[in-house]
Amino acid sequence: MKEVNIHVEHLTRVEGHGNIILNARNGKVEKVMWEVSEAPRLFEAFVRGKPYHQLARITSRICGICSIGHTLASLKATEAAMGIEISAQSQLLRRLAIHGENMQSHILHLGYLVSPDLFGVGSVIPLVKTHPDAVLSIVKLHRVANEYSDAICGRTTHPTNLVPGGLHKSPSPVKLRKCREMLLDSVDTANAVAELLLDNAGALPDFSRETEFIALTSEEEYALYDGLIGSTDAGTYPAEAYESVVNEFVVPHSTAKYCKNKRESFMVGALARFNLNHKHLSPMAAKWAERFGLKAVCHNPFMNNVAQLVEFVHSIEDSIAIIDRLLEDYKDEPRPRITPKAGRGIGIVDVPRGILFHDYTYDENGICVKANCVIPTNQNHNNIQHDFEAFAPTLLGRPEKEIELNLEMLVRAYDPCISCSTHFLKVEWKR
Amino acid sequence: MKIIIDDKEYACREGQKVLDVARAHDVDIPTLCFNPLNEAMRPAGCRLCLVEVLDGGRPGLQSSCSLPVSDGLKVSTKSRAVYDERREVTELLLSEHEQDCRNCPISGECAFSELCRDYDINGVSVCAECPNRKEGCLLSRGVLCIGPITYANCDAFCTRRGYPCEGCHSVMVNEDLLRFGLAAFAKADFHKEEILEAARIFSYEGVKVLDKVMKQEGFK
Repeated sequence: MKEVNIHVEHLTRVEGHGNIILNARNGKVEKVMWEVSEAPRLFEAFVRGKPYHQLARITSRICGICSIGHTLASLKATEAAMGIEISAQSQLLRRLAIHGENMQSHILHLGYLVSPDLFGVGSVIPLVKTHPDAVLSIVKLHRVANEYSDAICGRTTHPTNLVPGGLHKSPSPVKLRKCREMLLDSVDTANAVAELLLDNAGALPDFSRETEFIALTSEEEYALYDGLIGSTDAGTYPAEAYESVVNEFVVPHSTAKYCKNKRESFMVGALARFNLNHKHLSPMAAKWAERFGLKAVCHNPFMNNVAQLVEFVHSIEDSIAIIDRLLEDYKDEPRPRITPKAGRGIGIVDVPRGILFHDYTYDENGICVKANCVIPTNQNHNNIQHDFEAFAPTLLGRPEKEIELNLEMLVRAYDPCISCSTHFLKVEWKR
Repeated sequence: MKIIIDDKEYACREGQKVLDVARAHDVDIPTLCFNPLNEAMRPAGCRLCLVEVLDGGRPGLQSSCSLPVSDGLKVSTKSRAVYDERREVTELLLSEHEQDCRNCPISGECAFSELCRDYDINGVSVCAECPNRKEGCLLSRGVLCIGPITYANCDAFCTRRGYPCEGCHSVMVNEDLLRFGLAAFAKADFHKEEILEAARIFSYEGVKVLDKVMKQEGFK
């Protein structure tokens, strides 16, 4: 059988720079590798020596997509370190913030980055001609998500309204009612987009590899903002144990660290959250999961796309419910006053791409002396590699272009945010 | 046929314009209205390609995109007169510009913002765009806002919504502008270190200049 040599340098329609390498001879895979070539980011070093109230502002810049998630994880870490309690109303408003970001990110990924694969075209641009209504619906949903985030967080990205101890300013009830109306209005559009994706979901390959799933989990809700670290293999862990869950390690071909827990690798993201929290999905989201045949525990990484769609619907429904709860007894809370304290705190939030950890240590003046951020895509790199090793051999009989597309689709299904995941690596030169 | 640009001789042909010869030999002459994809399109409207004719033609400033070559023509692209005129033209263009893009932190590929940098046309502070600058200024309400010393072009997004400026577009690097901006802090009760700490969040170069200006001004 002929040789197969695939080298996709800088995979498109993902955030950041990653490469795919596949070499096969006589029907045997000799090398298959997922390489992360993005430059290191150095954020953990930037924040050392900075005062506590600047940390969320700085770490928010790790990502332009998950800036709300990074802000929330950062604030939770700071609040945990200084023993700051936040009001029930602020907790609910922050849940709205994370829903807004989840909607922004999921519709961007599904609508602009994944749908071209389902329709068999190279990008979203040709779809404007063939499926104008669908593209307009996607843009509309994206706009709703942006405006919703803007109303709660003060900006669509890099939020200014979220501060240690709560919110800088509570959004007015008028704004909240407007958001509710907008979200209610988007339900039909979301259903129409879901219907269309369902019609084309056959393009998602049927591939499963058993793995461990890790996400926030809670007894009360579909955990995004708060909960314990949950694993499909090992139950739950407290926040303090996060380092022994992610077990970061370094590999030579990647500027991002790799992770593993109970098995050789684990997966985080919408599918992991679905697998652990599916009981708490809103009714309409649960209905869509059923229609797509998404059942826990699902081991097909391509179904992460479907889980994102299900979560999008859940975020709309849950947001409306939270706004209703808020409006029952809504107060204009003043900006919290904070006295800095020495200590260490860990903040965990489940952001669009998976579970995110921020861990800060402060001195008695509230100056950061140590920081560690573990980004979801980091935790997925190793699982992508192991998926490659299992998936590539099953593809070898097909034309090279098709193999390439399938491997690209696999990476894309993880919705990787590669540039966020890179860290500084100590380089050891061998001469 | 030969012409002399900045004291160097260049061979050329009848019918060419001075700009064509300069471009062919990598002599830098800025243009905005000239379209290299359509050689015929040269409205000579932006006036940025001005050169000074020193000899062999009508003396004075002329647009090089429309100035025909003639044997022995001697021009300068770097004289004081050329610099001053180009700078003024750039400033005039900017005054008509829809948005103040001088402080754009991302661009580097925009010919116009490059011109502004080359001709040392400085940015404006966030205060210039802030609707609270006359009434309800955050500084006067005791909130540490570094808008007076940071570059604008954000339409004062944060201060407009009651949130203090954190200087995403960095602290200004021009000493005069910083001195002017620092006057806004005179009435507010902030320690020098507090202002520097706030300024440091997204800036490096500007903070060094700020520190220097604060020392000169005797800021405490």
